[in-house]
Amino acid sequence: MNVKDSEIIIQTKKLSKSFPGVKALSDFSFELYQGEIHCLVGENGAGKSTFIKLLTGALHPDSGEIIFNGKSFPALDPHTAQALGIQVIYQENILVNQMSVAENIFVGCEKTNRFGLIDYKAIFGEAQKIIDSLGIHLAPKALVESLSTADQQFVKIIKALALNPKVLIMDEPTTMFNAKDAEKVLKLVRDITTQGISVIYISHNLKEVSQIADRITVLRDGQFVNCHNNEDKNVDLNVITKEMVGRPVSIFYEREKSEIGDVILEVENLKLTRSSTPINFQLRRGEILGIAGMVGAGRTEIVRAIFGADKKVGGTLVYKGKRVNPRNPAEAIKLGIGMITEDRQKTGLVLSMNIIENTTLVGLNKFGRIILKLKKEAQAVWNFVEKLNIKTPSLRKEVQFLSGGNQQKTVLAKWLYKDIDVLIFDEPTRGIDVNSKTEIYKLMSQLVKNGKSIIMISSDLIELIAMSDRVLVVRNGAISSEIQGEQITEKNIIANAIEVN
Amino acid sequence: MNVRVNDLWFFKSQSFFLVLVIALISIVAGILNPNFMTKSNMFAIFQQVAVLGIVTMSMVLLLISGLIDLSVGGMIGLSTVIITKLVMNGMSLEFALITGVLVCLLCGFLNGVIVSKTKVVPLIATLGMSYVYYGVALVISGGLFLTLTMDFDFLGRGKILGIPVLMIIFLLVTAGTHILLKFTTYGRRIVAMGGNEEVAFLAGINVDRYKIMNYTLSGGLIALASLVLLSRLGSVLANVGNGYELRALAAAVIGGVTFEGGRGTVLGAFLGVILLGVVANAMNILNVSSYYQTVVLGAIIVSAVVISNIGKIKG
Repeated sequence: MNVKDSEIIIQTKKLSKSFPGVKALSDFSFELYQGEIHCLVGENGAGKSTFIKLLTGALHPDSGEIIFNGKSFPALDPHTAQALGIQVIYQENILVNQMSVAENIFVGCEKTNRFGLIDYKAIFGEAQKIIDSLGIHLAPKALVESLSTADQQFVKIIKALALNPKVLIMDEPTTMFNAKDAEKVLKLVRDITTQGISVIYISHNLKEVSQIADRITVLRDGQFVNCHNNEDKNVDLNVITKEMVGRPVSIFYEREKSEIGDVILEVENLKLTRSSTPINFQLRRGEILGIAGMVGAGRTEIVRAIFGADKKVGGTLVYKGKRVNPRNPAEAIKLGIGMITEDRQKTGLVLSMNIIENTTLVGLNKFGRIILKLKKEAQAVWNFVEKLNIKTPSLRKEVQFLSGGNQQKTVLAKWLYKDIDVLIFDEPTRGIDVNSKTEIYKLMSQLVKNGKSIIMISSDLIELIAMSDRVLVVRNGAISSEIQGEQITEKNIIANAIEVN
Repeated sequence: MNVRVNDLWFFKSQSFFLVLVIALISIVAGILNPNFMTKSNMFAIFQQVAVLGIVTMSMVLLLISGLIDLSVGGMIGLSTVIITKLVMNGMSLEFALITGVLVCLLCGFLNGVIVSKTKVVPLIATLGMSYVYYGVALVISGGLFLTLTMDFDFLGRGKILGIPVLMIIFLLVTAGTHILLKFTTYGRRIVAMGGNEEVAFLAGINVDRYKIMNYTLSGGLIALASLVLLSRLGSVLANVGNGYELRALAAAVIGGVTFEGGRGTVLGAFLGVILLGVVANAMNILNVSSYYQTVVLGAIIVSAVVISNIGKIKG
C-alpha cells in the first residue's frame, strides 16, 4: 500500500522517558498511518518496549506528546488507551488454558441472554464468524490447551480483534513458530490491515520484517535511527542490521571449523513410541551436529529421550565405546551429557533463585558434598559472569530480572561448569539480541575446538547452516535425511523438512 | 574479587517488618502491664511457642521445596499416644520414645513415597494421611485420655543454666534449619526443586528421592515436637496435635514463606512464630477473652499476607 494516501492515526513528538541511570527513549518522533504495518526493530534494550508501554499507558513519558487521531495527549493511561482502540498482543500467554477458544475470546465482554447468564450460542456463533472472516481453521469449542502454539497465537489475535481496535501492537508474535505457522500469522496480520487497522509490529526476525512491513523504524539506545520505506518489500537487511548495532556485524556468524575426531556417541534404534521409526545417528568429538525440522516434528523429543528426561520405548546409546542407558538426567549428566532446553524461563532457570544458585545447580558437588563453600562458589561464578560477559548489577540478583540474552548465558554457565563432553542445545538463541547471539556462537565454537561435541536443534536456518558440520533433518519423529558440507543449504533443509506429496 | 551484594536487603524484607511489629506490640503491652517485659515472661513466651516453632520449621522445609504436610497434627497424636500406651503396658521409657520417633519418621517417609511415586498433589495426599494417622491414634487410645506413668519432664520443664530446655531446643532447631537451607547442598537442591521442579530434574537432581528425604526429615522434626509436647503435658488425647498443621502454616506464611515454593527464610518463619507467641501472651496478660484472641490471630495472618503482597507489587 502507499501509506502517504491514508490518514495518520498515531503521531508522537519528541517522546522521552528515563529510568534511573538510563535514557530508555529520547526525543522519539514516530508516525503510524491507517492500515499500515509499521515494524519496530532494534536490539534488546533499544527502547521498543518502553515506547509500547508509553502508547498503552503502562508508563508515562517525561516529555513529548502523543497525538491520536489529531487529539494531543501529554500521557495516556491504560483505560484511555483501550478506549481509543489501542490493543497489544504480548508474548506471554494471556489465555485461560482450560476454557474454549470462544470463551477466551469473550473473557471480560461475555455475551449474556436476558437472564444475565452467558449466552453460549451467541458466543460460539460470534467466534465462528470472526474466525471465518479471517479465513483460518479453528474450532470455537476447542479447549485452548489442546491447540498448537500457532493456533493459540491466533486466539490471542482474535481476542484483540473482538474489541474492534484501531491500532494493534504485536510484540514478537512468531518467535515460537516454525516457518509454516509463522507464515500463517503473517498472512493474518496482512489481512487485518485491509480492514483499516494499523499494526505496530516488533520482531527480531528481520527476514519476516522485510516481508511484511510497509515501513520499518530502527531504534538504537532509545533513539530514532532511521525509517525505511518498504512498499516493494525489498529493503536491504544489511543496512538495517548495521543501523541496529551501530557498527557493521555480519548476521551470518563465521565459524572457525575445528578438527573432528572419532565417534563419541552413537544412537542405535532409538524408539520414542511403539510405532515410531527407529532413529540412528552418530556424533563425533569436535563436531556440531545440527538438527533441523519443523516445530512438532519430534526434534526435542529425540534429544530429551537421549538425555533421559523422557522414557523411551527402545534403543541404546553407545557412549565412549560403552553401552549405556541413562534413565534420568542425573545418569546422563554423570556420563557427561548435558542439555540446554528450549524454554529457558520454564525449564532452564529457577527464576526465583539468583545467578550464583542457578549457575552451580548442576555442578554443586564441586563446592562441597554436604556443606557448601559459599565464598569459593561466589568467586567461581563471578569468573564465569566476567568470562561470558553476563550483565547484572549483582550476583545475588534473581535471574528473572535479567534480559533474555543474559539469562541464556546463565543457563550456559550452568553447563560449562560441569565437565560435560556432549552438550545438547535446543534453540540456543531464540529471542535474544544479536550481540548475545554472537557471544553464544563463539562459546559453542570454543567448546568444539576443545574436543567437546554439540547437538544443536534450531529453527533458525541461517544459524543452523552457519554453525553445523552436519545437519540431520527430522520429519514426523524420524530422521528424513542427513546433509553434509556444501549440501547444507536452506533449500535442501526445507525440502527435507516438509512433506512432499 | 568484586562480588557486589545488596546490603540493604534486610531493611526491605518481611523479617524487618516483623521485627518492627513485634517490638511495637511488646512496647505497648509492656506499658499497659509491666509484667510483660520481664525475663520470666520472655521465657514463658518461648515455652508456649516451642512446639509450634519446631513444627513450623518442618513446614518451612516442606513449603520451600514445593511440598506441604497437613498430616503433622495426626502424626503428633499418633506418636504421643503410642509412646504413652507402650509405657503403660510396661515398656521402658527409652524404648517407647525411640518407637515414637520411628513412627514419625515412618509416617514422613510414607507421605514422601505417596507424593513422589503417585504424583498425587501433596495437599490432598497429606490431608488424607492426616485422617489415617489420627484414626489409628484414636483406635490405639480408644479415644481415652492417656497419662504417662513415668517421669518425663526434662524436655518440657527442665532448665539448663536457668534457660528452659524447650527454648534451647526451639532455637537449635531454628538455627539448624537455617544452616541446612543456606549452607548445604541438600538445602540448595530442595529450594531449587521448590522454585522449579522441572529445572531441578533436568539439572540432575533426583527429585523423587529428595521429596522422600525431605518428608522423612520433616517427620524427624515432628518426632522431636511430639516428645517435647508429651514432656510438657504428661498426658495425651489422640487429638493432641490437631490444629498444629494450620498454625505452623500460618506462622510460616506470616514470615514470608510462600505456598508456591522456592521462596522464604527461616528467620521470617521464626519471627512469625514469635509474633504469634507475643500476641497471644500479650493478650493473656491484658486479660483479652480467648474468643477475641482467635479473631485477632486470623486478622494477623491475613494482614501479614496482604502486606507481603503489597511488597511484591511494589517490586
